[in-house]
Amino acid sequence: MNTKANKPAAKPAAAERVKPGGLGSRLRAWREQHLYSLVSSLGRLLKRPFATGLTVGVMAIAIALPLGLGLALGNIERFSGSVSESREIGVFLKADVTVAQARDLATGIGARPDVAAVVVRTPEEGLAEFRAMSDLAGALEVLDENPLPTVLVVQPRDDGDALAADLRALPQAEVVQHDAAWRQRLSAWLAFGERLVQVVAVLLGLGVLLVVGNTVRLDIGARSEEIAVLQHLGATDAFVRRPFLYLGAWYGLAAGLLAGVLLAVAGLLLQGRLSALVASYGSQFDLAGPGWRGSLALLAASALMGWLGAWLATGHHLRRTRPVDV
Amino acid sequence: MALLRFDNVSKAYPGSAPALSEVSFSVEEGEMLFVTGHSGAGKSTLLRLVHLSERPSRGTVLVNERNLAKVRGGKVPLHRRQVGVVFQDHRLLTDRSVFDNVALPLLIAGTPGAEVGKRVRAVLDKVGLGDRERSLPLQLSTGEQQRVGIARAIVAQPQLLVADEPTGNLDPQLAAEIMQLFASLPALGTTVIVASHDLALVKRMRRRVLVLDHGKLLDDISPEDLAA
Repeated sequence: MNTKANKPAAKPAAAERVKPGGLGSRLRAWREQHLYSLVSSLGRLLKRPFATGLTVGVMAIAIALPLGLGLALGNIERFSGSVSESREIGVFLKADVTVAQARDLATGIGARPDVAAVVVRTPEEGLAEFRAMSDLAGALEVLDENPLPTVLVVQPRDDGDALAADLRALPQAEVVQHDAAWRQRLSAWLAFGERLVQVVAVLLGLGVLLVVGNTVRLDIGARSEEIAVLQHLGATDAFVRRPFLYLGAWYGLAAGLLAGVLLAVAGLLLQGRLSALVASYGSQFDLAGPGWRGSLALLAASALMGWLGAWLATGHHLRRTRPVDV
Repeated sequence: MALLRFDNVSKAYPGSAPALSEVSFSVEEGEMLFVTGHSGAGKSTLLRLVHLSERPSRGTVLVNERNLAKVRGGKVPLHRRQVGVVFQDHRLLTDRSVFDNVALPLLIAGTPGAEVGKRVRAVLDKVGLGDRERSLPLQLSTGEQQRVGIARAIVAQPQLLVADEPTGNLDPQLAAEIMQLFASLPALGTTVIVASHDLALVKRMRRRVLVLDHGKLLDDISPEDLAA
């Protein structure tokens, strides 16, 4: 009973097939699909508040740690002053050097090409400054005469090492104080701190990617049948990926927001104690936060990390489950 | 011009007997035919080759004279949009309403929202589920779920529809109703290929039948011969 194929029973009607519309129509559909994915992924996130809270919490701490370290470092730099502004050399002159001789000496030193400026600080000026700045002002009252010498404050153009050596050789100089060494050490510590923050930020940033990636992977696992159906119906990788990318971005955004809140709370907790500490030195200092630009950058970066983590996880899944060698 | 053509198509999986062996046939546009045979005869493999879920080991499969071997990468999803699929187990998304399930192919194709609503409601009316669009799949009977599956397969008016044992889980009366639904599709311009091992049902439909056995095409029976 092997027969030839027969003709169709009925001539088909002209079918109104779904074809890509014009540019405007396609853009409208594209916008609708993105909006749907944006809202539905947020809905999925809110449907599991406990699991979402745990994931966002872990991510927030991973973001807050390097960010907090970075902010602390920035505040230390601000507190200690700029290194470039603090390379001055203090030349404490011998007691028998008069102010007039000190001014002549300052003129000579100021003529050097490696000197930016020289300021003469007389014993009277030094005493007034000491009284204003120190809690030991009362102790000075018991002294019969002003014990402070005339001081030349020299601002070098370079690191000041050679200049300091020359100044130490001056017969009028009793002591030459060059702060470059500890400034350089502080600068080195700050540079080390910055590098440490960068390393910690990279490691914890990787942690954020892994957390998002793993969370999205679990979500993909729970929706693998749905993904298979979509692929059978002709969904592109981009279509399958889209809701997961938004999910990752939502996780990142929420984590960034929580990290910002954690840092703000930490700042509030530390500010009181720090103010009291600084006030005991007769000074004042306010902790600086990331600012609104920094906060926006934080939110954008964390959302981007979430998006990237989701992209990696979905990419892996799509490569693994692609039905044929397509 | 044939809509679908198999030229000496073979498909073998490593370590097992060939699933298809030197199969050749063609299908005209607007035709409805059955592929039948016992379990393991190669029915599902044949449909999977049409849908590009598999590629042949040898031979060529042509749709609209286009060799599917040349359809690769990002073009595969575009091909699949032209081929509606109905599964035996429906494969509906249980957390989405009937409407949302049926709308999926249109969303994938980038159809604007207003057009989606119009088309989905029209096709739900056609399969007799116009009043169930807000229901979840699990609130429906098995027959209704299969109707949703069919609605989803035809909502984008594909050129070709393949159905793999679509009545496998249904009682005879429901199975006959579903088959009548398939039989109405060629009039809309959709070519239908149904794989079924239910010979009695296939005979009742009086359509062309391809008989497979151990991957070989044993018979290509016309409706007239079937009636005789």
